[in-house]
Amino acid sequence: MFTLSRRDFLTSTAATTAALSLGLSPSELRAATPPAGKQAPSFYRYKVGDFEVTQIADGARTFPMPDQFVVNQKKDDALAAAEAAYIPKGQVTIVFNPMVINTGSKLVVIDTGNGLGAFEQTKGAVGQMNGTMKAAGIDPAAVDIVVISHFHGDHIGGLKTADGKLVYPNAEIKVPAAEWAFWTDEANAAKANGFNKAQFPNVKKMLDGLGDKVTKYEAGQEVAPGITSISTPGHTPGHVSYAVQSGSGKLLVQSDVTNIPMFVDHPDWHISFDNDPSLAQQTRHKFLDMAAAEKALIAGYHFWFPSVGHVEKAGSGYRLVPVAWNPSI
Amino acid sequence: MTYLTRRSALLGTTAAAFAAATATMPARAGAPAAGKQAPGFYRYKVGDIEVNVITDGVVRAKLADNFVTNVKSDEVKEALAAAHYDREIFNNTFTPIVLNSGGKLTLIDTGVGEAGFNGTKGTAGQFTNNLNASGLNPGMIDRVIISHYHGDHINGLLKADGSIAYPNAEILVPAPEHAFWMSDAEMAKAPKGRMEELFKNNRRVFAGEVLKRLHTYEHGKEVVPGVTAVSTPGHTPGHTSFVVASGDKKVFVQSDVTHVPYLFVRHPGWHAAYDQDGAMAEATRRKVYDMLVADKMMVQGFHYPFPAHAYIEKSGDGYREVMVPWNAAI
Repeated sequence: MFTLSRRDFLTSTAATTAALSLGLSPSELRAATPPAGKQAPSFYRYKVGDFEVTQIADGARTFPMPDQFVVNQKKDDALAAAEAAYIPKGQVTIVFNPMVINTGSKLVVIDTGNGLGAFEQTKGAVGQMNGTMKAAGIDPAAVDIVVISHFHGDHIGGLKTADGKLVYPNAEIKVPAAEWAFWTDEANAAKANGFNKAQFPNVKKMLDGLGDKVTKYEAGQEVAPGITSISTPGHTPGHVSYAVQSGSGKLLVQSDVTNIPMFVDHPDWHISFDNDPSLAQQTRHKFLDMAAAEKALIAGYHFWFPSVGHVEKAGSGYRLVPVAWNPSI
Repeated sequence: MTYLTRRSALLGTTAAAFAAATATMPARAGAPAAGKQAPGFYRYKVGDIEVNVITDGVVRAKLADNFVTNVKSDEVKEALAAAHYDREIFNNTFTPIVLNSGGKLTLIDTGVGEAGFNGTKGTAGQFTNNLNASGLNPGMIDRVIISHYHGDHINGLLKADGSIAYPNAEILVPAPEHAFWMSDAEMAKAPKGRMEELFKNNRRVFAGEVLKRLHTYEHGKEVVPGVTAVSTPGHTPGHTSFVVASGDKKVFVQSDVTHVPYLFVRHPGWHAAYDQDGAMAEATRRKVYDMLVADKMMVQGFHYPFPAHAYIEKSGDGYREVMVPWNAAI
């Protein structure tokens, strides 16, 4: 049997005739289509009033669940919850979903993903934001404001390239004042351990030398037209969430009030990344109570892409109902 | 400092703070809104088979009073509201798939086609655009498998001018479905209205070039390598689902065993007006969903929200779909 390349097929009727005489159907003659082998550019758009929101997947990390992943529960219970959420047995998957909001007058990025350094280190598993936002037609140089919710590496890692250049060269970078105060205090760095200890050098790397590009804001202030910060401490000392409002459209951006949705189901579970677990737990209840009462659309940085949905009360916790993909906005 | 008061959260802050915040910004024209959704395709693997899920879009219409024939429309509205939809509007989404198996491309069901695109101003009939965005195109499709003869599954076989949309494809249809809709005796018995229109449309589509390329397949047999036809009657007489399998992996391509999951997976006893034989469709639905739960098999559903791929769990006296977590790097 011979094989046919696409060119042979397109140029040679003789080959076709020969093949037909061998009993091959036209479809068997055609060149094989190689599998694409990669995902669609993972962004998703929706409107909040007149604002256009673009959710951008930065990627995912899947790793064996550490013993202390949920510090106040038995590991078996945490593993069972992960498995019930269809995470591969024994593992945990954490996804990262920054967003871009076009208010009409300003192009605003909220959190930056793991960054291009992490993209190289993970062979593209995370740090996809830069490539995906370009695929979405958004030029990083056109971004007016980058708003940071808190200083963990998966939120600030995309501020600079691996060699230290600004990813958003024309943007004002707005950071929570309380967050800045905590993470730039040498005394805090000196006594940090565990997860926090690893964050201090990264904060320095990403936020040093930005000069007057950085503006500190107090929680409660508007950080861009229609985008108001909300103090939601616990996960970090200066952690903030946001309320986005345009006309009658409304969106709550929770940042890391919860991590992946199993912590929406179990708001009393303390994830090891929470700096003050009890305060984070209180914040979680208040914020999710508000979201449920308002029937508000809520975006979660660690919700599965497109990472926006509604929260309902369910038993002693809550339930996340993801939005249905809207093919025609 | 304010802390989560509703007013601070939702009414924003003073104009002064806003002015201060914006004073330092360079004056630049705002970037224009994109105004359209991301290209609607999504990929996953079933063993060696690459599944390309391609959305055809949505038709939105006021919920018809008799949309669910055996419950009051208020109950349906409640269910829509419970799923965070507008209680008066029904969102009818369509999600064909293209399988790449060994280099051959197999499309299962077509969406509403180019005429549907024109008729809806592009909210539906998006399949070709999204297929092209995924790097494939209609000329590359080797086979089209049809699950059943409703317009949203077959009309895309034709372009708006009536010519064939897949110039290089064979068209594979369920033998009992084809026999039913091509039977003059059945057509003569068809009630006026929707059934009559269906006969008319099916005879329009399955004619000419489409008919020349048509092959019928039998239930219980492999239609093409890796794709086995499963008889799931009720929605239509010859309605077909598929098991797509490669290695030890498989997925159940249900076609229209249920319409949208937030109504008919949650309430398998509800009969959609589209079901030709409501009782038989319900029996099929319960059998299929019991099997999906027992076998922990994932479903691909034509009328599920994109990417239309989900796990199924038992829930109360019905079932519950859990949409697959989007995988940003396959």
